[in-house]
Amino acid sequence: MIRNRDNKNKNIIVNKTVKSFLLLATVLSASIILLIIWQITKNGLKPFLTFYDGRKINFFHFIVGTRYSTTNYQIGFIIINTLYVVLLAILVSVPISVLTALFIAKIANKHFSRILTTVIEVLAAIPSIVYGVFGAGYVTIIVKNLGNALGIVTAGGISVLSSVLVLTMMILPTITMLSITAFKSVPREVEEGSLALGASKIQTYFNVTLKAAVPGIFAGIILGVGRALGEATAVSMVAGNLSSGPSFSLFDPTRTLTSTILIGFKETEGLDYDIRFSIGMVLIAIILLVNFILNYFRKRISDKYEN
Amino acid sequence: MKTKRIIRDSVLKGITYIASFISIIILVAILFFIFAKGSKGLTWDFITGDNEPKSYTISILSNNELIENDKYENYAKRFGVAFEDSVNYDKEPVVKIVFVDDKSPLHSVIDSITGEKVSVSEGFYFTTFIEIVDDNGNTDYIYAREGAKVASEKLANAKKIKDWALSYEGGGIRGSIITTVYLVVLTLLIGFPIGILTAVYLHEIAPKNRFINILRSFIDMLTGVPSIIYGLLGAALLIPVSQMVLQTDSIGGNVLSGALTLSIMILPVVIKATESALDVVPKDYKLASLALGVNEVQTTFKVILPNAMPGILSAALLTIGRVIGESAALIYAIGTSIKDVVSIDGKGTSLAVHIWSVMAGENPNVEVATSIAIIILALVLVLNLIVKYISHRLDKKFKGV
Repeated sequence: MIRNRDNKNKNIIVNKTVKSFLLLATVLSASIILLIIWQITKNGLKPFLTFYDGRKINFFHFIVGTRYSTTNYQIGFIIINTLYVVLLAILVSVPISVLTALFIAKIANKHFSRILTTVIEVLAAIPSIVYGVFGAGYVTIIVKNLGNALGIVTAGGISVLSSVLVLTMMILPTITMLSITAFKSVPREVEEGSLALGASKIQTYFNVTLKAAVPGIFAGIILGVGRALGEATAVSMVAGNLSSGPSFSLFDPTRTLTSTILIGFKETEGLDYDIRFSIGMVLIAIILLVNFILNYFRKRISDKYEN
Repeated sequence: MKTKRIIRDSVLKGITYIASFISIIILVAILFFIFAKGSKGLTWDFITGDNEPKSYTISILSNNELIENDKYENYAKRFGVAFEDSVNYDKEPVVKIVFVDDKSPLHSVIDSITGEKVSVSEGFYFTTFIEIVDDNGNTDYIYAREGAKVASEKLANAKKIKDWALSYEGGGIRGSIITTVYLVVLTLLIGFPIGILTAVYLHEIAPKNRFINILRSFIDMLTGVPSIIYGLLGAALLIPVSQMVLQTDSIGGNVLSGALTLSIMILPVVIKATESALDVVPKDYKLASLALGVNEVQTTFKVILPNAMPGILSAALLTIGRVIGESAALIYAIGTSIKDVVSIDGKGTSLAVHIWSVMAGENPNVEVATSIAIIILALVLVLNLIVKYISHRLDKKFKGV
């Protein structure tokens, strides 16, 4: 009897210890985001608060300026170029992704749909460094040749267009996969209603299913935008090193926030090192802001489609 | 009216066909490009070789007995070595060693300048000449420009190699492969368990309250953080932490700081994968166990986790895939200097960062990059296939699909 009670007490103690251990792991995982924000802000604000060889960076010039070099750290044009490249990539990839998803989810036969799904999954699994190699070794050459054919001199194909193409390839699988889910979760009754009214299958897919899936597709777009804004390695390999801007021509070199953080990273202290944290800080702010705006629109859209 | 509709439908259908075809084209183009450029350079020497180029000056006596071998065309029996005409990185013609017999005296020679012990092996080459002494005591020279055939014939008559400037080109990726293995193992040891425990807590034990909801939303936020930001965190926080742990004061990152950064980066992936693995385990199992009087913790570890094991294995495989493919975070957390000798407190590059290193310089080397890309692609795709297979099996087991 006493033994039994001892056992029970032991069990309760073990139970409690294990639980608090698990809670500790959870708190640790959750605190990472705070660590990130704290560390990036702490290091990112340094260039505006301390002197480097007698100079301090003016935050206003930093955020709106149009020149980037070791004498002028201004990223205004880089922000615009980043948003421009991402916007173009979204404009190219969304129609392709949505149509592909519609094909996979509704039009293709089972066999073909499975093959295509695998293709999309494989594309999603390819690491960004491989996209970067493909971009630097192949896409830039195509862009260069295209430029030559049009009579435009490019910097070896390092350009806005190359960046857009590489980013498009990278976010295509993301948006496609979420769109497939969106199409598959459209209730059958909605489609059947349309078919019963005499609409053809294709008409139903394009006029009814597509509209019903818009909120889900939009979720995919939000994810795609996030991925495109944060993508570093592949873009750095094809974007170039533009020193002033913004530049909107497709065949001009460009510069994104992430490529600026990554390219030329050598030293481990000093202004050129610390400023990269400031750019990282701005990158986080932009990702959050864009996410916030897009989520606002998504809410409005889904409200509209649900009523 | 009806024909018009049929035409319109066909056109729309055609557009979806074309759109779908684009994905296939992209995949085929990537695979074709990577394999066409990279497969030639993907040799055993490349995989197992050192990266750093080296040069030696050696002198050595020939063997007393001849070393027979008839597999190679330009083969010198006295030294047990075979040559081939080749070019080096700078596209200069060189004579390259393609085979050294096990019994060859070249396996253990002393560098006459540094006194270092050298083992001449496949991949060594020379661009200038070999100074030899023949059986009659006459000095002769074998020039690299004369080609592999002449070199082997002349060396077959040499009694002694008096002076031979040999080079080893380097460019191998053995060090990067080892670093990648280190990173994978360390990340699985550090980050993976934390992720599993977090997922178990959130999914099985956590009460429903505000505090837990906040923790959950914090963890969800990690999913959207780009890898370059994890790299910045690694540089700012984890490099100092790793230096403290390892008691070193070397400048910059090390393999441990890279592994710590990756451990943090994979957390959201592991948590999500584990939670969906736990989702698959039928709720009845848990209820049945609890009804028998078993407490929550025991139920979780003895009933739920064993049943979720295949899903957790998938999480581990996904983690390995992420570590192999990651580049941006590691560039900041370890650095980009390629090393042949790897240790936890030293620098090094994973395969992905090795690609970045060869592509980021003045003369990007696409051939080497694509050769490594083949390895990365093969590993990542195999891992993903296994994950897919496991989840298919799990669905079958629990849902009878």
